[in-house]
Amino acid sequence: MAHHKTLGESLRAHGVSRRGFLKFCAATASMMALPPTMTPAIAAALEQARRPSVIWLSFQECTGCTESLTRSHSPTVEDLILDVISLDYHHTLQAASGEAAEHAREVAMRENFGNYLVVVDGSLPGPDSNPGYSTIAGISNYQMLMETLEGAAAVVAVGTCAAFGGLPQANPNPTGAVAVQTLAGDKPVINVPGCPPVPMVITGVLAQYLTFGKLPEMDQYNRPLAFFGQSIHDRCYRRPFYDKGLFAETFDDEGARAGWCLYRLGCKGPSTYNACATMRWNAGTSWPVEAGHPCLGCSEPKFWDAGGFYDALSVPPGDTGSTLLAAGVSGAIIGGAAAALAKRRQKADLAERQPVKIDELEQKL
Amino acid sequence: MSELSLERGLAAFREEIDAPVAAFFSSCIRCGLCATACPFYVETGDPKYTPILKLEPMRRVWASEFTLWGRLKGLVGLAPKVTDEMLAEWEELLYDSCSMCGRCSLVCPVGNDLQYMIRKSREAMVASGHAPEGLIGAASRAIRTGSPMGLQWKTLDVQIKHVESSTGLEVPVDKPGVEYMVLLSSMEIINFPEYLEAIAKIFDHAGVTWTLSTDCYEATNAGIQIGSKDIAAELVQRVVDAAVKLKVKKVISPECGHAYTAIRWEGPNLIGKSYPFRVFHIIEVLDELRAAGRIKTEGKETDRLSLHDPCNLARKSGVIDQQRNLMDLVADNFVDLKEHGKYQWCCGAGGGVSSNERAEHLKMAAFKRKKAQIEEVGPDRMVTMCATCRTQLEEGLEEFNMDIPVVGLTEMIAEHLVEKEQRA
Repeated sequence: MAHHKTLGESLRAHGVSRRGFLKFCAATASMMALPPTMTPAIAAALEQARRPSVIWLSFQECTGCTESLTRSHSPTVEDLILDVISLDYHHTLQAASGEAAEHAREVAMRENFGNYLVVVDGSLPGPDSNPGYSTIAGISNYQMLMETLEGAAAVVAVGTCAAFGGLPQANPNPTGAVAVQTLAGDKPVINVPGCPPVPMVITGVLAQYLTFGKLPEMDQYNRPLAFFGQSIHDRCYRRPFYDKGLFAETFDDEGARAGWCLYRLGCKGPSTYNACATMRWNAGTSWPVEAGHPCLGCSEPKFWDAGGFYDALSVPPGDTGSTLLAAGVSGAIIGGAAAALAKRRQKADLAERQPVKIDELEQKL
Repeated sequence: MSELSLERGLAAFREEIDAPVAAFFSSCIRCGLCATACPFYVETGDPKYTPILKLEPMRRVWASEFTLWGRLKGLVGLAPKVTDEMLAEWEELLYDSCSMCGRCSLVCPVGNDLQYMIRKSREAMVASGHAPEGLIGAASRAIRTGSPMGLQWKTLDVQIKHVESSTGLEVPVDKPGVEYMVLLSSMEIINFPEYLEAIAKIFDHAGVTWTLSTDCYEATNAGIQIGSKDIAAELVQRVVDAAVKLKVKKVISPECGHAYTAIRWEGPNLIGKSYPFRVFHIIEVLDELRAAGRIKTEGKETDRLSLHDPCNLARKSGVIDQQRNLMDLVADNFVDLKEHGKYQWCCGAGGGVSSNERAEHLKMAAFKRKKAQIEEVGPDRMVTMCATCRTQLEEGLEEFNMDIPVVGLTEMIAEHLVEKEQRA
């Protein structure tokens, strides 16, 4: 492992031209909504950056995030940047297996103590859960995370499972899954949610961290604002149809064919913050809404439990509808019963009513 | 013998609480505008005279019996109860300090008809034995003698003879098949006999056929004032029976405010069926005759005249233009009070206050609002069309040493009729 080499040297060794490198820096700057004047700064920073050691932990996940990462579509420099960071441990990508693999992790931790970056994909059974739900080399996920975090400079939670608990944590959460940030203590956490996250967002966040050596600006969910600062809806190319009130009502109607807004088909774009609408997928080919499917809201906390994917946003999530109905019905029954009681009493009063007679009044004189 | 009791009072509250009442209580926003509309509050400044507070007993019954929260509170003994002591305390608020003028109902921003609820609350006050003695006396005399003041036909008969000799006209009595049956109020018979004379002259002038009934000549309804629908219905039934017996199609309510609302609006509901005749206030009849050209007048009053609109007539019944049309007929220098018509202020004596001797000081306090209104305009004389208002204005103006005579509109019209010989 060539720890002594800077990133610039590594890139040149890998045959990346100066021009190609600067193009990547410019793309990174624009991706992170930085002014173009920042490009040289990024280049300088990356040139000088020592290849940081990265330990990638995969817990309760589906490997979708890694699949996404490996399809990073920008110039091959992105693949390179993953080569040039010292990815010392990654289940799926590393060649080593068994004890050798675990040994690599321990060495990286020891040699880079206090400086290495931990990337996690997948949630993990919490400290109070049965540790047997997910183990690696006989070590529970919880134990592995805690000991790896000890010497970490920061932790990047890649994918919604790591960031917010995701599918494993969805109701009824049988494994007691928790998100990484709930266990990270005072270690800085960067959440890169998405199911999976946009590949360029994963590499972009890593590039930003390398460039500035500090945490990016983040929102209330610890998501970097550069990628999660705007809603899908606000950047959606179908937005003009929404503004005109033109909606697809079914997946095969005229509106759907004409590419009208998918809001009524359950699009969660208005409440979802991600970069899909601007960066798109598969080397910028398309993205879900462009393919005719509403946004599922996968980069938002609890998106699995946020109601049907095909319920329009104005429909209350979960069983609130039936709860409300039940509350309304029981309220009406109780109220009706109270009213009926009062009415019955009123009727009884009326039946027993004694008209006021003048001699009764006169008794009061 | 049966007795009035708290239980009967509470039952009456429950019986009177209908959908409008429930809606009113639940929509009250406690803004207190009703206080500023009430002459009793405005002139005393005592917050206990705030109209909505006068309804507290009824509100308590509503809250504890007709709301879920109230019933739950009642189960654990937290709901405040309506007791005899409370009703005794509220007697002053529901009777002495309320003339049911309805100004509070008019200003309520959420449209709560407070006056309607006062009227209903009084039903329970009667049933629980908490009505003022003065009103019980009036109700008793009305039922037993036909007049709340205890008059008998022979007193009226004397007046009739007097009118006939001074005008040379016949005052028709018990004449079937005529156009109008005329009702009077005892107050007029005793204090303002000129009203009967004016009627005789005007109807003779306009060629209107009319009659009095020996069975029922009294229009006022002590049952409405005390707040007993049983007694009120009995008094209304007497009018209906007399009108049916004489086969008249039209009945005239005299210069009296509550008599008009009682017979015109509440009556059919009280007896549970519609009348076979129509009811008019004398002012409505006179204005119709005027419009038809059947009243010819000569000369005009030249002094500065102003008008007091009775609450029951103007605010509660919408008779507002008629009296002004008639004033224009006979007055050259007429000026309206600043707040008049439906926004007029009560004289302070209506709704049974004047029959309730105990309320004298409050009645005079409330009058101060009217006095201030009159002072603003500075008329030489006041004109009105309600015997109770007229008495109150006279007494009040005298109390404050204001030399402003009060006249009835009907008699003023009669004074200006063109003599028959001249017309011919």
